[in-house]
Amino acid sequence: MSRFGFQEKMLWAQLVGMVVVVAFYAHFLVHAHPGHHYFHALLLVLLFLFASIRTFLRRRSGSVVEDERDRSIAAIGSRWSNIILWLGLVVILILYWDHGSMRSAGFLVGILFHLLVLAGLARIIRELVAYRMAA
Amino acid sequence: MSSRIRNTIRELRAARSMTQQELADLIYVTRQTVVAIEGDKYSPSLEVAFRVAHVFGVPLEQVFQYQVPTKRAK
Repeated sequence: MSRFGFQEKMLWAQLVGMVVVVAFYAHFLVHAHPGHHYFHALLLVLLFLFASIRTFLRRRSGSVVEDERDRSIAAIGSRWSNIILWLGLVVILILYWDHGSMRSAGFLVGILFHLLVLAGLARIIRELVAYRMAA
Repeated sequence: MSSRIRNTIRELRAARSMTQQELADLIYVTRQTVVAIEGDKYSPSLEVAFRVAHVFGVPLEQVFQYQVPTKRAK
């Protein structure tokens, strides 16, 4: 019998997915020419893939795949993610306090994307730690 | 952090030759949660606690015991 539950396996898969996205994003930044949008397509495919796997396995599994402990751990992860998002937004606002306007929409989207990735990684890692601490 | 709540689920389960997965299915939680409860690493909700007692057919206090913290000497 597996040591990992469904939620924990999904978290590991998400972590690997995030690392792949970040690696591909770095590659995209260095090598992609204007007009290439593979990175966005990959991101959409990954999001769709995780949502599909989760829905499929939930319906297929005969046993409970998510319970009160999973929900409490998810709440801890969300709290960490929210803290990082809020801190990031505050830092962005402070950094650009005296500029009056943000440099460009593209620049702002880039910063927000990095912030979202960071918050997502923090959530996944915090939840994995919580699962291992109370394994 | 370990809980002050102790339980006898492992012993009750062993006496009935019940697996962790079987118990988990009966009380609507995952097997990993049963593992965590048995190891005193997770305190279940009151509802799950009652379900466990109901499955074994024993009073709640026979399954879960609260360890009252002792006062430190000044």
